[in-house]
Amino acid sequence: MAGTQTDIPKMSKTLCNRLLTDLENARRPVLEAIKCSLDNANYSGKLGYLTPGDKRVRTELNVSSVQKMSRAIFLLEILLRNLETGAVNTKRELYYISKGEVKHNPELAPLDFTDQSESDSIVDFICEMLVCYREDLNCFANDRGGQTYSDYLVVTEKLPSGGSATVDLGSLGTTPFQPKNRPQSLKLRAKKKIDFCLVVESEGTANTFVANGFCKRHKSILVGAQGVPSNAVRGWVKLIQDQLRIPIYFFGDLDAYTMQNIYRTLKAGSAGSLIRNSDFSAPDVRFLGVLPEDIKKYDLADYAVRETDLQEARALKKAKDALANDPFFKDPRNKKVSQILKWLLKNKRRCEQQAYFMVDPRDPAKPEKIIVEKIKKKNYV
Amino acid sequence: MAKDKITTSSTAEYFSKNLQQVGFSSATKAVLTTLKEAVDNSLDACEDAGILPELNIEIEKKGNGTLKNTDLIRIKVEDNGPGLDLDDVPKVFGEYLASSKFGRGRCSRGQQGIGISAATTWAQLTSARGAQVTTKTKRMRNAVSMVVNVDIRHNKGLVKNKESLSKWDRQHGLSVEFLIDGRVQLNGEGGLLTYLQGTTLVNPHLTLTYKLPDQEKVVIKRVEQNCPQVPDATMPHPHTMKLGEFIHHSHLFGPIALKSWLKKGFTRVSDNIIEQMVKHGLKKEYLAKPVNKLHQSEMKEIFAAVQKTELMAPTTRSVMTIGEAPLALSIRRMGEIDFFSVVTRKPKICDSKPVAIEVAIARFLDRQGPRDEEDSAPVTVLRFANRVPLQFDKSACAVVRAIETVNWRSYGISQRTNNLPLGPYVFAVSVVSPFIKFKNASKETIDASDELVEEIRRALMQAGQRLSRHIRREKKADDLERKKEHIEQFGPILVSALCRIVKAPAKRKKQATDGLVKLLGRELNQAKEQLVQAEVEVKKVVAQREKRLGKGKGKKDEDAEAEA
Repeated sequence: MAGTQTDIPKMSKTLCNRLLTDLENARRPVLEAIKCSLDNANYSGKLGYLTPGDKRVRTELNVSSVQKMSRAIFLLEILLRNLETGAVNTKRELYYISKGEVKHNPELAPLDFTDQSESDSIVDFICEMLVCYREDLNCFANDRGGQTYSDYLVVTEKLPSGGSATVDLGSLGTTPFQPKNRPQSLKLRAKKKIDFCLVVESEGTANTFVANGFCKRHKSILVGAQGVPSNAVRGWVKLIQDQLRIPIYFFGDLDAYTMQNIYRTLKAGSAGSLIRNSDFSAPDVRFLGVLPEDIKKYDLADYAVRETDLQEARALKKAKDALANDPFFKDPRNKKVSQILKWLLKNKRRCEQQAYFMVDPRDPAKPEKIIVEKIKKKNYV
Repeated sequence: MAKDKITTSSTAEYFSKNLQQVGFSSATKAVLTTLKEAVDNSLDACEDAGILPELNIEIEKKGNGTLKNTDLIRIKVEDNGPGLDLDDVPKVFGEYLASSKFGRGRCSRGQQGIGISAATTWAQLTSARGAQVTTKTKRMRNAVSMVVNVDIRHNKGLVKNKESLSKWDRQHGLSVEFLIDGRVQLNGEGGLLTYLQGTTLVNPHLTLTYKLPDQEKVVIKRVEQNCPQVPDATMPHPHTMKLGEFIHHSHLFGPIALKSWLKKGFTRVSDNIIEQMVKHGLKKEYLAKPVNKLHQSEMKEIFAAVQKTELMAPTTRSVMTIGEAPLALSIRRMGEIDFFSVVTRKPKICDSKPVAIEVAIARFLDRQGPRDEEDSAPVTVLRFANRVPLQFDKSACAVVRAIETVNWRSYGISQRTNNLPLGPYVFAVSVVSPFIKFKNASKETIDASDELVEEIRRALMQAGQRLSRHIRREKKADDLERKKEHIEQFGPILVSALCRIVKAPAKRKKQATDGLVKLLGRELNQAKEQLVQAEVEVKKVVAQREKRLGKGKGKKDEDAEAEA
């Protein structure tokens, strides 16, 4: 990463100075940012996550781009003020702060955002320009997902005030620990040797496992992903991988959406966040299931993908594109994952993680037994 | 054996029970259809006699109708046509399928002789009085007024209350008045005003006076001083016939030799072609035989040989067009025009039938809504078949299908894929052919065959290309305006914010502001040049059109010239 919190103000001033000098000389100033899209994504099996290529988005000042450039500098000024005072905001709050600025200074009226998506894209553009994380600009998303349960994990957080706080997850009972959006400030320690970490796609199913005593019976960490993993979840799982060096398994639905949007993002990051995948992806995560062979093996209820459903049809089309263009799925090291995607495209079936509960409906611990058996028998990809 | 006795019904009985099939399916449609049938007849009669038509239309509410939720409506249409002989009046107004045009292959509005008799039936069924007709031909000393009813049982017209009028305000002409149950709808696709506007557009030679309920009297003068000549029908093309029609056609010619019959009775058949027919199996000995003595099996052989022989496509001489110049003048009668384009295609053969397509696209100053924006309403489509406005069931019509499949975005008009384009435009498309294939007996939808849709598309694209110059110029002007605004609005904000962040002194701020104005000013100049270029192009198009059509400019065209 080029920008960290300490050098962002300096980098910003240099950038603005360059723009101003260009204007003084009647030269067209140019803003450059890394292109964060799939066509600029590389994947190396060694690193295990998607990295940016050489492509850059150039915004040259002209009559059409003057609005975008003005908005970027306007928001940058607000963010720099936050860094100076230590104030923290969400994207939504930033949207309203910018509206407040416009309200109190009518001269800024042309900059007014009509929708949050407009200010969000400008914040992302600033990050890509300064090559820094949103969190480095004191802009945090909601802490969604990542509820973690373990009897053996201790987390120490370095506080902005300079002190620290220690949380023993074993003392929380069935209350989960919620990782923050900047997991880099956390330090992990295992009280005893932890065997594995299980990331469950459904937050509800993760809760059920804990309530049924999963963490009591197994020296494990249980994380609820709550759908597509947020930055907090991605950074948190990466932290578990790097600091504890334990096997991590992902347990989710067998469908194209889960494979591409949830599992791939957790393991290798996303094309939209190429500049942050190094700290927000956990390449060691393995896909435990539901695997296509599990359907037959455990006689699970699966069902046909409704191609008339717009969302499902889009997921299938995206899966087809991913096999052709996504460097993660094209890499030979992820051949088995690609094979699952091909199977899904060919058979157009899907199976939910909760289908394990039908194997023995009277045994609430049956899904847990299957998961542990699969880990033991290395039945994952 | 069935107990019920099998009986036959008259045509009038059938239609009196199925009036919805011929345009009387609702109270609002009943008013429109009655008016339409009367106007069609008047215009056809005037054109046949070479008279420039002058029509007076009166529609008024006379009280409550006998049917639920209807009014009693009086519809009167008066023309200056040749008038009808007294013997013909009951046939025209009281007898179904009595027509002088049926199957003749001419581009007349009326064809089968159903419409006006259906209007009389509707009047009879709802107000117990048929059509009140007044007629005077040049030869008659006085005009004669009468009531015509339909004898439904026998499909005959019955005349009542016949009286001679010593005073009538015209030398010749016809007046018809109906009292019917109905409801008046003025605007919208099925509205009377829409119908009258459409009729005005495609009949530049018509002077129309109308008075509608709660409206002022309106007079629209003709803009074309020549009465259109409806071309005579040509002989049929053998490839457009079925065997039965072929044999029936032979009966019309009496004891004439087959060879002569083939040459006289059909178009595109010559001595050379007959030799080709012989090569394709036509026995030489048949050629000299009288056609009425040929046996059915022999006719079958002859028909097969004719079908195998390659012939030239049918002639397009029987098709008439309004013409670009009259259409350009006529469209200005619909309101004040911003800009417009008209296209008249040469007649073509579609589905073995001659057809001519004409298109007029215009933007009206009084219809301006949000201009070319995604949220504006779809364009107004006016469809015409043989110069008769079509106002219902538009979605399946060949005209709408053709408009939807053209990519209007390339001409600068907003459109969602495969939908009608958006904006305050009027698209008028006229299809003229002696054999228009309608989807229903009420003649509201033209069958969308691939060949016809393609021919309409071509006409539309031509009109779109001509229109696009105007739209491009407008977009360039908008672009220039937007760029000016951007420079004025964002320039100072950008420079101020940069100066605050780097804590620059006032001198730097001024220098940067000057630099920015200089930079963006260059682009502004470019935009100005592009606008000038676009204006030159528009002027060229207007000049070309004037050369082609004479005067017929829109407001923007005049402005463009004034600026020049």
